[in-house]
Amino acid sequence: MNTRDTDRLKTLLQAALPPTRDDLPPRDLWPELRQRIASAPASPAPVSIPWFDWALAGGVALVAVAFPAAVPLFFYYL
Amino acid sequence: MTNHPYLRAFLAGAFVPTLILPLMLTGFIVLRMVLQVPFPFERGIIFPMALVPSLWALWNMLWLGSSERTHLTIGLHGALLPLLLMPCGALLATSLRILSIGEDGVTWFNAVHVSYTWIVPVFLAALAVYYLMWKYVVGFLNRTLGIA
Repeated sequence: MNTRDTDRLKTLLQAALPPTRDDLPPRDLWPELRQRIASAPASPAPVSIPWFDWALAGGVALVAVAFPAAVPLFFYYL
Repeated sequence: MTNHPYLRAFLAGAFVPTLILPLMLTGFIVLRMVLQVPFPFERGIIFPMALVPSLWALWNMLWLGSSERTHLTIGLHGALLPLLLMPCGALLATSLRILSIGEDGVTWFNAVHVSYTWIVPVFLAALAVYYLMWKYVVGFLNRTLGIA
């Protein structure tokens, strides 16, 4: 490949690829992103379980202990 | 995320039974093939394997479509599902001869006897299990998938 071919290839490539534009944002976005990361909670808020649901779970456990044969029946319907 | 909410509801609804099914299959293989227990488990597994996941999924789709009108919480909606599932499961079990109805109770797999006095607390416990699973597990999945 001689110099002429190289120049032609360069011209063709420049014609095929659109020129890049300077699309930089008007201000630096990195401080805002750092602030959002810092303000996000480290862990999700714990789920609060009302007393009624605890009572239901206790009742289920009571039935399972008092009547263990019910456990496979539960699995049959799951 | 606004596309295909009913598909996401279907997937969230089928999640719990699909997770439990491998455990049941493992128990079935251990009991039937390893321990050689002479119970017809393979007949009983048809219902939880073929129908329950689909019914959970469709029930969640129904909740998504009706909750704006009915204002039912996801837990209460899920607690209604055993009212549909239990007669269906009992009917199928009776026709497959894994459930026999006697004078003082019902017998599952020719081995597990449930007297009629125990049916009411067991049924209420099943409602409670469904309420809790739908409220906490399916509700969490619905929120995660952006449909609740």
